[in-house]
Amino acid sequence: MQYAVDNTMQQANGKIAASPLYTDDVSIWHHMSEALHQSLYRVLTLLIAVLPGILAFFVALLLFGAVGMLISWVLRRCLTWAKFDLRIARKSGADWTPSSSPTDIVARASFWICVLLGLVIGVSAFDASYATGAPLPISLLPYLTHAVGAALLLIAGVLVARFLARSVLISAVNAQLQYARVLSLGVKWLVLVLTAAMVLDHLEVGGNIVELAFGILFGGIVLTLALAVGLGSRDLVSRSLESHVEHTGERTHIPDEATTPTRQIRHF
Amino acid sequence: MATANSIPENAQAAENTTADLLVFVTAMAPEHFKGVLANLASAFSPGQIIVATENQLPADLPSNLRVVSTPQSNAAWSLKPVDFVNAAQCGRQHGAQAIMMLGPEADSLSPLALRSLADAVSRASIDLAVPRYSLPSHAGLINSAILYPLTRAAFASRVRFPLSIDLGMSPRMAERLSGAAERISAASQPEALLWPVNEAVAAGFTVDEVDVGLRAMPQPSDPDLNSILAMVTGSLFADIEAKAALWQRPRRAPAMRQPMVEAQPSDGSADVARMVAAFQLANANLQEIWSLVLPPNSLLLLKRCSMLDAATFRMPDSLWARIVYDFLIAYRLRTINRGHLLGALIPLYLAWVAGHINLTASGTPAERHIEAVAAAFEADKPYLVARWRWPDRFNS
Repeated sequence: MQYAVDNTMQQANGKIAASPLYTDDVSIWHHMSEALHQSLYRVLTLLIAVLPGILAFFVALLLFGAVGMLISWVLRRCLTWAKFDLRIARKSGADWTPSSSPTDIVARASFWICVLLGLVIGVSAFDASYATGAPLPISLLPYLTHAVGAALLLIAGVLVARFLARSVLISAVNAQLQYARVLSLGVKWLVLVLTAAMVLDHLEVGGNIVELAFGILFGGIVLTLALAVGLGSRDLVSRSLESHVEHTGERTHIPDEATTPTRQIRHF
Repeated sequence: MATANSIPENAQAAENTTADLLVFVTAMAPEHFKGVLANLASAFSPGQIIVATENQLPADLPSNLRVVSTPQSNAAWSLKPVDFVNAAQCGRQHGAQAIMMLGPEADSLSPLALRSLADAVSRASIDLAVPRYSLPSHAGLINSAILYPLTRAAFASRVRFPLSIDLGMSPRMAERLSGAAERISAASQPEALLWPVNEAVAAGFTVDEVDVGLRAMPQPSDPDLNSILAMVTGSLFADIEAKAALWQRPRRAPAMRQPMVEAQPSDGSADVARMVAAFQLANANLQEIWSLVLPPNSLLLLKRCSMLDAATFRMPDSLWARIVYDFLIAYRLRTINRGHLLGALIPLYLAWVAGHINLTASGTPAERHIEAVAAAFEADKPYLVARWRWPDRFNS
């Protein structure tokens, strides 16, 4: 009361501007609090909608993982009792290493199949509960599957790159090419670049820019190699080919023992 | 493939007769086949043998030979599994007491050699008679470097040419090889190689060598070392892997019954410098692959070898034995792709060849060196057995 009287007297003297009353301040804070509460409510609602799906996913995964372990254990015991490794070894004529015996392979395969099944069922349960629970667009799930596919593509690409690089390296060394390692690295990086472009395309990242960039890069590399082999390395390639032809001539030559003493080595 | 245009009267009669010896002659050029028939006619008395072949019969077929038609493969430089199957079937059909298989260019074998091979089976009761050829010192190097030493160490067999293209077999040996060939064919590997000596040792049959002297060895149509070495060595590795339970038992090789036949001297010089250069290039580029297969001490020794110049280059016998054993272990464990593994072995093999040629050029008899290599393989067999059973150990 005293404050209101003082305020009124100061306003009458013109010393201070008219200020809102206590009820307006309460209104602002009330609005802000209201907005915060509503935001929190939306977040909690979303979380409540998603949480059962996540829970269902993990429950399915753990359950099938446990089932997989049980099945793996049972299979291992049964196959060991049935002497499965011995029967396979007799049939195939091969001696399996202890770390990769047929029993071990079957047991591991059954476990991981169960885990994969649990993953699929868990994702289905998550998808079902999420779709019915919330109004938000379900754009994350397809992207997740694309990401898994991209990861598999990357792994496959790396393996193929390593295999091809090794094949080229060994073949080039046996062909006595001095640039064997460079050739091997070139093949490896070509495959890796191709793999990266495929992964980005699978993830729908970059769009046409990635395709264009890859086309320019890959085409440039191939064109460079072709020019290098065709023009820049003429002498080197011709020397390599000449030595290869001489070597082939030595191997293919079957000496006439009646007239010519053995000059060349015969590996067989 | 040459086929008989008509079956002469003696062949028609031979279809239903028996003989002491069945000679299975593989497909070969007509001039070679004519020579084989002539040698057979002079080596054996009339009515003693039946010749089973699909080659075109010459116009002047020796009258004392009985010839029957039998399906054959187009064996170029080695006997195919189907040849063993057909030979056993033919021998069974004609009640042969001994079966002799002759590969391409067998006309270079003298009648005495053919007779000796047949007598080893029929008179000496040997199950498997393997010829011992007299080859130039620079011929059959894959056999000298890998096949003979490895077979001798693993199966305690002193047969000098375990992948011989000519054989003398008893009926039970023929059946054994036919069974093995059928298993190979059933596994969709018609071009795979069969190892008769290994099969004979596994079956507990008697094996003996027969000195046959000179022989013209047929060469593969594609003489690429990369493919030949990979095929032959890979086949032997696979066979050793299949018979692991057998060769891990301690056994002693039989005493050498024949004096060591010195190989014919080789005139001219092979390109040792090129082979050493190939090894040095591989040493610089394949370290990461070799390190997956070979232990550190072998890699160190290889590095020291790479520093030698071509004129004095030599690979120690014990190092070569361990290299082959390590590659065999890696083949079994599939440490790396098997094609890559056998490709990585080629420069090491060339290094051994270069050392062998240098050694023979310095005066050491070739056979003496090869016997020393085989002895090194035998001495290091405990290393192979230990690594086979405990693959992760590198310092045994």
